[in-house]
Amino acid sequence: MLKVQGLKKIFQAGDLKVAAVNGVSFTVPEGQFASIVGRSGSGKSTLLSLLGALDKPTEGSIEIDGNDISRMRDHELIKYRCQKIGFVFQGYNLVPNLTALENVLLPMEFAKVPKKQRLERAKQLLDQVGLSDDKQQRKPGRLSGGEQQRVAIARALANKPKLILADEPTGNLDSQTGKMIFDLLHGLAKSENTTIVTVTHDLEIAGKTDKTFRLKDGEFKDK
Amino acid sequence: MNVVTRGVRNAFRNQIRTFSIIVILGLSIGLSLAMLVAHQAVGQKITDIKGSVGNTVSISPAGVRGFEGGGNPLTDAQLAKVKTLAHVTSVSESLEDRLTTSNSNLQSAINAGSLGQRFAQNSGVSFGGGGQGGGTTQTFTPPVTLVGTTTPTDLSATGPGGGTFRLKSGAIFSSTSTDNVALLGSSLASKNNLKVGSTFTAYGTSIKVVGIFDAGNTFSNDQVIMPLATVQMLSGQAGDITSATVNVDSITNVDSITSAAEKVLGSAADVTNAAATAQQTVAPLQNIQTISLYSLIGAVIAGAVIILLTMIMIVRERRREIGVLKAIGASNAKVMFQFMTEAVTLTVLGAVIGIALGVAAGNPITKLLVNNSSSTTTAPGSFGGGVVRAAGAARRSFGGGFRNSLSSIHASVGWSIILYGFAAAIIIAVVGSAIASFFIAKVRPAEVMRAE
Repeated sequence: MLKVQGLKKIFQAGDLKVAAVNGVSFTVPEGQFASIVGRSGSGKSTLLSLLGALDKPTEGSIEIDGNDISRMRDHELIKYRCQKIGFVFQGYNLVPNLTALENVLLPMEFAKVPKKQRLERAKQLLDQVGLSDDKQQRKPGRLSGGEQQRVAIARALANKPKLILADEPTGNLDSQTGKMIFDLLHGLAKSENTTIVTVTHDLEIAGKTDKTFRLKDGEFKDK
Repeated sequence: MNVVTRGVRNAFRNQIRTFSIIVILGLSIGLSLAMLVAHQAVGQKITDIKGSVGNTVSISPAGVRGFEGGGNPLTDAQLAKVKTLAHVTSVSESLEDRLTTSNSNLQSAINAGSLGQRFAQNSGVSFGGGGQGGGTTQTFTPPVTLVGTTTPTDLSATGPGGGTFRLKSGAIFSSTSTDNVALLGSSLASKNNLKVGSTFTAYGTSIKVVGIFDAGNTFSNDQVIMPLATVQMLSGQAGDITSATVNVDSITNVDSITSAAEKVLGSAADVTNAAATAQQTVAPLQNIQTISLYSLIGAVIAGAVIILLTMIMIVRERRREIGVLKAIGASNAKVMFQFMTEAVTLTVLGAVIGIALGVAAGNPITKLLVNNSSSTTTAPGSFGGGVVRAAGAARRSFGGGFRNSLSSIHASVGWSIILYGFAAAIIIAVVGSAIASFFIAKVRPAEVMRAE
């Protein structure tokens, strides 16, 4: 379960203070799919960074599976991020000189999963996202946008995380591919019992999730 | 795939850039090695020269040089005190005399010429058959120089002619010999139709020719070399010495031995050394050593700067990728290690090219430096032409020997140099990627989100 209370992130530039996230509180039960919608600059990506332990909040707490990550030290966060959180980015962010298979293996290598086990898991995940054996050996530059996002989803699921954070996962895809990717993400999350929080502009996609939060000027307007 | 494999593979992501970096690094490392080779070769040469040239002290009777000046000869007893001084390895003693028609049947092979006539006129002495009756005559014949010595093959210690002793025939008498034997210069032997086994007369005694030598110069080839004790006895100068050369164990002790000898011999002798001349000999080599050291440091720094800038450029280029790696669980140390492996891969490849260049260019560059240095520092007459006349016998070996000592430098590349090359490459890689690693540590994974 994801539980957020009184979360604030204030950026300071000289005398100017900007609250990118301003006192946000919400809960997403385990295995549910939640979406956060809002205009550009509303604080969606900052909120996602805080949820993903990529940045530290100015105030408030974030509990994932009963652990408050806002109080963790840097080295604990690295380990936690590696084992408990998966990321799917709008621009895929695959490592360009590694093959699709090697990209999926990467987080498992950081989590020190035994070699044989991680190879089996990576192949299984790539099969699940529908990437053929031939394409599994290709580098990202030789895959389509949709295929790259499938690899990114497989990579996010590699260490069986408790929480997947997706930042506009369909933003760079055409509507049909976007829908396919959304369904894939949704289906895999259900089968792996993983909580998903996605940021999206697409209200149609947001309407299909279990919960939707609307963010404006760093605050939730309604739920 | 582990972090090392990823680092090595990353080094080849941009092949044109990789090739360029490796070539530039190779040149830098090659130059470093060539300079190291030159530095070591020249350093060894300086040590050799210091161990062999200039570590002598010359002793002459006060006011006497050869047959010029005046004063009293030194004695065996006086020089025995010098032999006991610490750091003295040996002492060569000699007694010079002249053989003329009045005390020998030998005829000089040297034509007096106008110089000989003038010298004889200026000294107010005449020698030879045509000029009896005092004063100089047009038939003046130069005398034959006789040297009694304890070191018959050391021409720098056996008279003013110097040169390199080369035995053409016969044998060399021992340093302690008291026999009536002689070594003859090749010109003198030829002029007097003498061969090994022939005899000539000196001081009314029959002297047997035991060897003929070639000194490489006309003056020394007109010389007779005999055992010191024999000359002292036959010439009636028992115990007399007209010059001595003291060999010292190291050039660093030459000055102290000079002072000690002056103290022991007092005003009876002129004591000089050639340390200053030897220092002049090695000065150009020391310049080369300094130049090669600075070039070595410069080339290593250049290599480090090349890899530093390259790694900073690579880190800036891959900022997003670093953020992603950190976001999916890579620690700072792991990412830094990956980039360090990449830097080491580039520098090791550069080192392979550099070592090949260093091996090929080490000797030619050393010779080039030495030749340039010797051509600009050995103006005619700088050595041996009179600057160190007082240094006696030692000076004679410098004039011709200096150029030889430089040109005989041979630089070689051993395993130690190759190991130094690889060690330098690793140091360059680590130093060069250190600042880049600092930038890596500063990259925050949250930047990946903000850049979306």
